Amino acid sequence: MKRYLNSWSTIIIVFTLLYFLKAFLPAAFLTEVAIYSIYAMGCSFLIGRLGLTSFGQPAFLAFGAYGAGIYLYYFGTNPFVAILVGVLASVVVNMLVGLFFVRLNSSYFTLCNQAFCVVTFFLFQKALVKWTFGDNGLLLISRMDPTPVIDLTSPKGIYLFAFIVAALVWFFYNYLMKRSVFGATCLCVKDNEQKLRFLGYKTYNIKWLAFVIANTTAGLAGALYTVYFCMVNANIASVSSASEAVAISMLGGAGTLFGPLVGTFIFIGLKDIASQFIRHWEVLVGLLLIVVMLAGQKGIVGSLEGYLAKYTAKKSEPTPALTQEGGV
Amino acid sequence: MNGQLLISAIVLGLSMSGIYFLLTVGLSLCYGLMRMISLDQFFYYALGAYMVYTVTSLTGSFWLGMLGAMLTTLVAAFVVERLIVKRVYSKPVMFSMILTFGVNLLGVGLIKYVWGLSPKPVASPISGIMNIFGTGVPIYRLFVIVLAVVVYLAVQYFLNKTILGTAIRAGIDDAEKVEALGININRLFTLTFLLSSVLSALAGVIHAPFVMVSPEMGMSITAFAFMVVIIGGLGSIKGTMVSALIVGQVVSIGALIWAPLAEMAPFLVMMIILLIKPTGLYGSKLMNR
Repeated sequence: MKRYLNSWSTIIIVFTLLYFLKAFLPAAFLTEVAIYSIYAMGCSFLIGRLGLTSFGQPAFLAFGAYGAGIYLYYFGTNPFVAILVGVLASVVVNMLVGLFFVRLNSSYFTLCNQAFCVVTFFLFQKALVKWTFGDNGLLLISRMDPTPVIDLTSPKGIYLFAFIVAALVWFFYNYLMKRSVFGATCLCVKDNEQKLRFLGYKTYNIKWLAFVIANTTAGLAGALYTVYFCMVNANIASVSSASEAVAISMLGGAGTLFGPLVGTFIFIGLKDIASQFIRHWEVLVGLLLIVVMLAGQKGIVGSLEGYLAKYTAKKSEPTPALTQEGGV
Repeated sequence: MNGQLLISAIVLGLSMSGIYFLLTVGLSLCYGLMRMISLDQFFYYALGAYMVYTVTSLTGSFWLGMLGAMLTTLVAAFVVERLIVKRVYSKPVMFSMILTFGVNLLGVGLIKYVWGLSPKPVASPISGIMNIFGTGVPIYRLFVIVLAVVVYLAVQYFLNKTILGTAIRAGIDDAEKVEALGININRLFTLTFLLSSVLSALAGVIHAPFVMVSPEMGMSITAFAFMVVIIGGLGSIKGTMVSALIVGQVVSIGALIWAPLAEMAPFLVMMIILLIKPTGLYGSKLMNR
């Protein structure tokens, strides 16, 4: 069973199903789910596979978003190039920031990340206000040219593109988490860093690379966001949304493959429904975090995989797989 | 830059240091004594500020407001501790971090329901101005500095000279042995948690006259609080005091030079200190968990 859950074809099936869900659900909601799940994937990887909780993810989202936004506002009109520029900008920032942050132990890492998030917010809101226009932001409507093959300026085009990118990201993380040696060493870092160091691995390099990969995923989501909403303002890096990525990861199951997708689907769905009844959305996010943490910290997919493993073990599967699933 | 501006900036920086210290001493106590990162301290900070606003506008007395804020926070923190935080004392730091962040968000949401979104003003209780080297300095700022020093001395006395403080410190090293001596360690942890939350509320109370009281105030001060905690080293009261002094001065003098520096400069200082010592100035290596 577990083999089916983690195979390539499952990813294709899940995303195709999700794509055709637009017959029942609004396309805007599904586009947001696709983009936000990419963002949550990075955070989930950091928490579940590396043991680093980051409350500063909006900062990394913002660098990708502003990379794309500034390119579109000042230099060019091609949204594909803009996304590329956003990703490159976030790679450069992550490589530099990672050099400092990865040395810290996990408590310091979390606090530093949140501090970094606030500093990034001030950077885009106040320090670079000449170029970013602070809270008003960069308005990019009619600054993008229609593109061939997939037209990113039309809602249909961006919908398709967001799903293709999300599926590619999932392929990549599937490879990273289940097949590659690097993914396995990441898990070792989380479980017993000292032992890994004793075995001769340079844990600093492993953590740095994982940090760059995870946060570049966030940057990619940020760049998609800019193209999708045709605007970017400083609020994208605001601290009050800092917990969303963590909440989604914990809800879906940190470190699981489909956890971020399920988490995002439920989270954004809840947000859309609840915001019609509740004025202040933080209450629900806070409650969600508390409930998920007290209910066992495994998240939805994490718990489901546990049940499935039990179920299939009863049905005479000789040895359970070597990979370790779910949980923090 | 003239001398008068500099003097008033230094005094402002010192009073900011006082507020940062009061806010972060709660975080430090929780980490140093219970090995948990309690992000809900920022909720108690905002709650304190709102309570002092409410009581002051009802009764007209700031000091009564201070008392009311601390009592309310005591009750709120007790409820949170009993219902939620109690369950994660023995777990790794990450659990307490995510959980208390949830509590913080919940608290901010509830504050928005009760008091609304619009910022509220709180009048300064001491309005006089003192002359220092020809520069007029509000006495209230000096009062904040004195209060922070008093709290620092009191906390140090409590931890190092009283039986209770000694028992709490022993509780970290060997909880079982302390319990074998007939001391209820959970009660000590509750006490520490309540003490930290009351100090955070006090920070909110005395910060209220400086700024407008708004629901996001707890969120917007997190960055400075974290920088203070990280520069000083998590869990060290002395380190917290020293780094609060550094950050306060960097913020107020940085703002004199170029306004956005107020937020950026402490971050740069933090980065440089972390480069030299990844555990902060006074953080110990033993706390690597």
